[in-house]
Formats: sequence, C-alpha cells, structure tokens
Amino acid sequence: MASIRDLRTRIRSVGNIRQITRAMEMVSTTKLRRFQDRAVASRPYAQEIASLLSHLAGVPGGSMAKRPLFQAGTGQTSVLLLVTSDRGLCGAYNSNVFAKFEAWWKAHKAAGRSARLFVIGRKGYQYLTKRGLPVERYLSDPPLERIDYRLAKFTARTLAEAFLKGDVREVVLLYTAFESMARYVPTLLPLLPVQAVSAAVDPGAKGAGASAQSDVILEPDAATLLDKLEPRYLETRVYNALLEAITSEYASRRMSMKNATDAAGEMQGLLKGQYNRKRQESITKDLLDIVGGAEALR
Amino acid sequence: MAGEMTLRVITPEAIVLDVRTTSVRLPGVDGSIGILPHHAPMVAAIDTGLLRYRQGTSEGVLFVSNGFAQVRGDLVRVVCEAGEKPEEIDEQRAKESERRARERLASRGKVAAGDPVDILRAEMALRRALMRQQVLGYGSRVRGVR
Repeated sequence: MASIRDLRTRIRSVGNIRQITRAMEMVSTTKLRRFQDRAVASRPYAQEIASLLSHLAGVPGGSMAKRPLFQAGTGQTSVLLLVTSDRGLCGAYNSNVFAKFEAWWKAHKAAGRSARLFVIGRKGYQYLTKRGLPVERYLSDPPLERIDYRLAKFTARTLAEAFLKGDVREVVLLYTAFESMARYVPTLLPLLPVQAVSAAVDPGAKGAGASAQSDVILEPDAATLLDKLEPRYLETRVYNALLEAITSEYASRRMSMKNATDAAGEMQGLLKGQYNRKRQESITKDLLDIVGGAEALR
Repeated sequence: MAGEMTLRVITPEAIVLDVRTTSVRLPGVDGSIGILPHHAPMVAAIDTGLLRYRQGTSEGVLFVSNGFAQVRGDLVRVVCEAGEKPEEIDEQRAKESERRARERLASRGKVAAGDPVDILRAEMALRRALMRQQVLGYGSRVRGVR
C-alpha cells in the first residue's frame, strides 16, 4: 500500500508529465498547421506541372514512347523509398508504415524480385538495420523537419538516377498519406516509370484541347520542354508525398500527445482521490488518539 | 488599346503574383520573349533571369528561375521554381553565393578535369546570384524613377 508521501510524489510526477505532453501537443498543433498550409500552397504548382505534361504528351514530337522515364525497366529489382519520422512519440505512425512495408516486402520476395531500399527518417533506418536489411541510401540531410522544395528536388533526382542507371523495374514511394486530422494511411505510390498522366487532369479538358493543341507554339520544342518538365513533375510528386508524410507525423503526434495528456489528467484525479482519503484517514486516527488520551486523563 | 491580360506566377511555395498587365517579358531559354495581349497559345521553357511586366506606365520586375510559361487566351501562367520580388531578395546572400560560385569555378580551373556536373552547378549558382543582384538593381532603379 502506497504511503501518503509516495502518493504525493506520484501526483507531482504525473503532473509534470502532463505538462510536458501538453506542451508537445501544442507544438505539434502549430507545426501541423504550418505543414498543412504549405501542402495547400504547393498544390497549384503541382497541378500546373501535371497539366503541362499531359498537354505536351498530346503534341506531335512529344511522344512518351521513347522517353526512358516512361518505360518500365527490364530488371527484377525495385527501388523503394521509405518515409518515416526522425523522432518517436508519435503513436503508431512508424509502426503502420513498417506493417505496410512488411506486406510489400513479403509479396515482393514471393514474386522472386529483389529490392534496393532508400530511407528517409531515423526510425526507418533503425528499423531496417535491426531487421538486417541493407539500406542503400539513408537520406538524412537535410532532415524532413526542414523540408523545402530543394530537398524534394534532390530526392527526386536521386531516385531518377537510380531508375535510369541499373536495370530497375520501378521506383515506389512508401509514405503516409494525410487524409484528415484523424486519418493517415500508409500508402504505396508508384513514382517511376511515369504512368500516363491522367489522374491529375480532368478528362473533359483533354478532349476540348485536342484540336487546339496542335496550334500551340512550343518554345523551343516539345523534346526540350519535356526534358525540363519530367524532373519537375517527379519533384512535385515527391514534394507532395514528403509534405503529407510530415503532416501525418505531426497529426499523429498531436493525437497521441493529446491522449497522453488526457490520461495523465485522469490519473492525477484518481491519485488525488486516494491521497485525500488517506489524509482524512490519518487525521481521523490522530483525532481519535487525542480524544482517547484526553478521556484517559479525566 | 490592345487590352490587358492576367499574369500569374506560380511557385511550389505560393502564387507569387496574380496581376493584370499590358505586357510581359520573359527570359526564354533561347532568348527573351515578349508577350502582348492576344498572343497565340504558347508553351515556353524559361531560364533563370528577369521577368518584367508592365501595368500601364509602371513596371514590375521579378526574379524567376527554371520554369515554364503557358499562354492561353488572356492568361499568362508562369510556373517556376523561384519567383522573388526585389524586396524579397537578400543582397548579402546573393553576393555571398556569387563569391562562393566564383571561388569554386576558379579552383576547378586549376585541377585539370573537374567533375563536369559540379562545374555546371557552380555556373548555375553564379548565374542565379548575378540575376538576383540584377533584379535588385533594377528594382531600386524603378523605385527611383517613381
């Protein structure tokens, strides 16, 4: 049975933990909002790039058929970029990603394919190393925390180079998609070869623009434009995935910190009740002693 | 009068500019491109450089790099990686990166066969730094006239 003193220390330490988790919750909330704003801000750019790409695909000389980034590789190897967090205390965020990874890995092995693993985030790196899987690249600088377009650019270039060099079948991103404040889903996103760009563009515009497309002046020409456009397109997709991943991380952290704060509050209440009962008990006992002593003297 | 058109500059971070203009001048990869209202539909690749636009009698300038311009109807959309107004450019930083780029280029010259990619990168960095400074100079000149 805990003594009064023990209870008092426990109440204090639970209170301290509660303060910390509450502070972390608030930090996560502001960061979450910031990353969310950036994801929203980047959307017009991504849309423009995607529509330009689909636009050029319909132009004579802009044929995708001979573009290496659009061709599935011949080999049996896949490149996977695993996006995880650098820090913990974010609930099941990382374990969800790992579960998805294990499923992918199993299916992949069953099909007799090999994989090259790229990782963002310390947690993912630790996980794979502990599991004894070779990590080809650990992209740790700059950290995801300080994500900007340059990081996405660098990542996209690294992946594209890997795709073009070896006999790589495909490049896949495994990141956590941000669906809402309470829903973040680990998602496999095929990055390369570039699929026909149709999802990002409404089909109605395509039919209407088909006749007008041949009249568009291309400066300097379709091939050069595509050369410049392809990397941009990859970058926007990677950028978006990374932004969503970090947004999900903070949403997840906020949620788990909120739960921790609530649980600590509840526990504090419980302990306080116990403490008060104990205190009352000892006061009653003391009083009885005093009254008993006084009676005896009479 | 020839009328007006909308100029919209879009970067990954934000929509930098959304204004009505009477003429736009873009740094195309094969030289400067001027656009007036009622231009034929066009898609153009854009280099690092100065984007200048005119609104009546006043003129604006923007640092842009690495992008595309799309003209359709009376809408000019510039989709680029960087779009900075003169007041947003840090002169110190631009000068600093110019110095660094020049240093890198100079040291590459001595070591016979430097990595061509590195040289290219340094050259691009130098170009960006110079263009940023040019935008600054231009911006202050425009402000001076007013």
